[in-house]
Amino acid sequence: MLALQLLCNGIVTGCALGIVAVSFSFIYATTKIFHVAHAGVYTMGGYIAWSLLGHGFPAPIALLIAMAACTALGSLIQAVLYARLEQRSATHLVILIASLGTLAVIQNILAAVYTANILRFDLPWSSHVVTIVGNVRLTLTQLTTVAVSVGAYAGVMWFAHRTILGKQIRAVASNPFLAEITRLRPRRVHVYVVAFASALVCLPGVLVPLDFGLQPYGGVTPLLTATIAMIAGGVVSITGAFVLAIVITELQNLSLLFIPGEWSIGVTFFIFVIFMLFRPKGLFAAAR
Amino acid sequence: MLHLLRRAIGALAFMLVVTIAHADTIRFGAILPLTGPGAMIGTQQMRGIRFAVDKANAAGGVHGEKIEILFEDNQAKPDQSILSFNKLADLQKVPMIFTAYSGPSLAMAPLATRKKILLINAGAQADKLATASPYLVNTLPTIGDEVKVISKYLIGDGKTQGAILFENDAAGIAGRDDFVKYFPEAGGTILSQEPTQFGQTDFRPALLKLADAKPQVMLVSITAGLLQMAQQYKQLGLNFTVAGTTFFADPDTVADPSSEGFVHTQVRIDAPPALAAEFKEKFGVEMEFFVRQYYNATQMILTVTDKLLAEGKALTGENMHDELFAIGKFQGLIPLEFKSNTATVPLDINVMRGGKDVTIKRMSSD
Amino acid sequence: MDFWFSYITLASIYVLLGLSTNLLVGIAGIFSVSQAAVFGVGAYIVAYFLMNDVLSFLPALMIAAIGCIGLNILVTLPALRVSGDYFVVTSFGIQLLATAVFTNWTGGTGGANGLPGIPPPDLFGKALESSSDLALLCAGGMLIGCLLFWLVMRAPFGRLLRAIREDEVAVAAAGKSVLRAKVSAAALAGAFAGTAGGLYATFLSFIDPSSFDLDSSILLLTMVVVGGARTLAGSIIGPFLLLALPQILTLVDIPTTIAATARQLIYGLLLIAFMLFRPQGLAGEKL
Repeated sequence: MLALQLLCNGIVTGCALGIVAVSFSFIYATTKIFHVAHAGVYTMGGYIAWSLLGHGFPAPIALLIAMAACTALGSLIQAVLYARLEQRSATHLVILIASLGTLAVIQNILAAVYTANILRFDLPWSSHVVTIVGNVRLTLTQLTTVAVSVGAYAGVMWFAHRTILGKQIRAVASNPFLAEITRLRPRRVHVYVVAFASALVCLPGVLVPLDFGLQPYGGVTPLLTATIAMIAGGVVSITGAFVLAIVITELQNLSLLFIPGEWSIGVTFFIFVIFMLFRPKGLFAAAR
Repeated sequence: MLHLLRRAIGALAFMLVVTIAHADTIRFGAILPLTGPGAMIGTQQMRGIRFAVDKANAAGGVHGEKIEILFEDNQAKPDQSILSFNKLADLQKVPMIFTAYSGPSLAMAPLATRKKILLINAGAQADKLATASPYLVNTLPTIGDEVKVISKYLIGDGKTQGAILFENDAAGIAGRDDFVKYFPEAGGTILSQEPTQFGQTDFRPALLKLADAKPQVMLVSITAGLLQMAQQYKQLGLNFTVAGTTFFADPDTVADPSSEGFVHTQVRIDAPPALAAEFKEKFGVEMEFFVRQYYNATQMILTVTDKLLAEGKALTGENMHDELFAIGKFQGLIPLEFKSNTATVPLDINVMRGGKDVTIKRMSSD
Repeated sequence: MDFWFSYITLASIYVLLGLSTNLLVGIAGIFSVSQAAVFGVGAYIVAYFLMNDVLSFLPALMIAAIGCIGLNILVTLPALRVSGDYFVVTSFGIQLLATAVFTNWTGGTGGANGLPGIPPPDLFGKALESSSDLALLCAGGMLIGCLLFWLVMRAPFGRLLRAIREDEVAVAAAGKSVLRAKVSAAALAGAFAGTAGGLYATFLSFIDPSSFDLDSSILLLTMVVVGGARTLAGSIIGPFLLLALPQILTLVDIPTTIAATARQLIYGLLLIAFMLFRPQGLAGEKL
């Protein structure tokens, strides 16, 4: 009983995390940049949607405008900051620190504008509870999260494998050098990639706070877990990232049954470190 | 003859310097978390202090002298606090510093003793604070005091099987340890306990695990995310009693229907409506608990300062400390009485009903 | 004066950490955001020995240094198995795991409440309690550390490390053990970090997990990058400057309500500006 409810909760949070992981891996696989500021884009999406709803915009419009804002921010960071740094052949460490600086800027602007309080984010239907199989209770927000996340995952798969832009992106990701020589224009592709991933991460960025409230400094831990999911799943695998995000969240939730709660996050990272020692390529690594 | 003259000039010059120094603004310090996870509360505390000081200055200051508060951001970290403390003590020579959060306050306590600087805490409640330093004065009861009161009430109400939900940091753990000690002492049993991370608002796994132990009451020791906890408690369809301390007094949580029936101790600190309205107009937000706490503490300090200056004594930490205990009783937003380093205050038992926090029993914290 | 003494003391401790990070990240090229964890272990070890009156300061410090040598070797071993970028996340994971242990292992580390009342350091029987004594001790430690660093860099070992940074494959082809060199660098970095931890514990007399978390590791990295990577001067300038920065920023007049967030913001902007316009830091070589 308890286990079943924990399992279902794990699927919900896992799916949201899965989209964060998919969006992050999209960027990392193509640009090889560890875009920590992505956590800032994720956080900002929620706040923008909240503001718009407060001003009377209907929910779907608020979501679309928030996604547009995220896209703009992400593309800005890529085009203005990362591209410039790459042109000067900056090392990954330099870019990482620039990204950390950007994250600090975004988080503190949000904290200054919206205060550091945990803001309440509700829609009229968001707390409505539905009971499904075996006495498991889930809110409509939780169910929506699963539906949207799975839908987004399917959408990304379709985009990556069936559209021309998607194929171009995969090409650039798999062989940047060759992409440079052909007419693929990797730099422009990088901007498209970050733009697309930023719009994508706005979805959990809005759905998760709907369940748990908005806070300006809360984006880093999910991003870190998502990164682990990405790497454990095999960096270039979209499915790997999504599935592993759910697996890791389940491990954290279900481990509560056996070990005290303080240790559940520690255990996750411990398992990951072991992973890195014995199977660094990840579970779903594509055969090259 | 000449050297006597030189002495006299020296003495005069010294007196002049001292009086000029006195004619400067009076400076006090405040070391609070203004950024980072504690900023939510730290900002409230800062506003409380500023509100009180601005009002005093608008009325002409204390004894004709303006008050200035030097705010330092410690991000709730002890090492930042120590640096800020030394800076305020050495460079700005403040006699008194406002502090918040248990960790930083405990870290600064030995320094306060050594340098004889009065540390006023109006927000943290760890039990160790009561005896950390003769110069550390707490204007609100320790968690232990509150837990004793709520435990007795719950047992009296027939709720003897308890489970603890606590935040895994200094404040939350202090509350957890007190529940583990005082709830059984009052006649109850602790069935289980679950931690959550500060700032992390997914309480469902912890709530579910606690529910599995089938308690009659859940004893809560968290400082952030209370509303989210209440909402998730309701969504999961749980129905044991939920009990806590003053940390429960979050307006959003009180107003939300999911907190119906939550019971808690409450340090009775109310703001007269006119004052609350004035605050809201100035800062654009409600005058919440920590605002009132620090406003009250600032008023207390202003009273001490006023009396010291009236008696012609120097404004040093030692003098302020002695004067505070000499006065002993203060009437601000709430009556404060100092029989020890921790104030004795009125303490109520409140229940959240119909969107309001209703007092059902009046008690005291000693 | 106490303020200046505490500034110098803290800056000296961070210089030792800067040397440690520079060795690991700048020179050996092993990216690490877990240096604060090693720093913390050193602090807790010395705190334990001093509080339980088992050892006096210098022996406790030595044990902390040795312990951290071992720990750092263990922690950087994964780096040698996975390529640079993957190690970024492993390093994050190690740091977060360490924070979890510091916060939850109440028996050993005092848990989230920390360890208050750590006795002051004693040198040959005499307790060092005043802030000037502590400043002297830590500044002394810093100077010894700098000397050691300088000597190591001038020695063949230092040249080997530099060569590895330039072209690892060539060095391996020349028959030198790249693995051994990197592990040795990590060991030395561990010693520096552990010593810094011991000094920190006795200086503050109170330690808790919040001083050794991910933010601290990132601060260390920032110090090294802003001060200048791979050089001795950079390891000194970075800590002194970055510790002073929050204090310098308080001189800028900003309304109190947003002052603190505004300062963090300026901090972030400075990082971006540095990376864009001067990635080698103030006194470093190109990273």
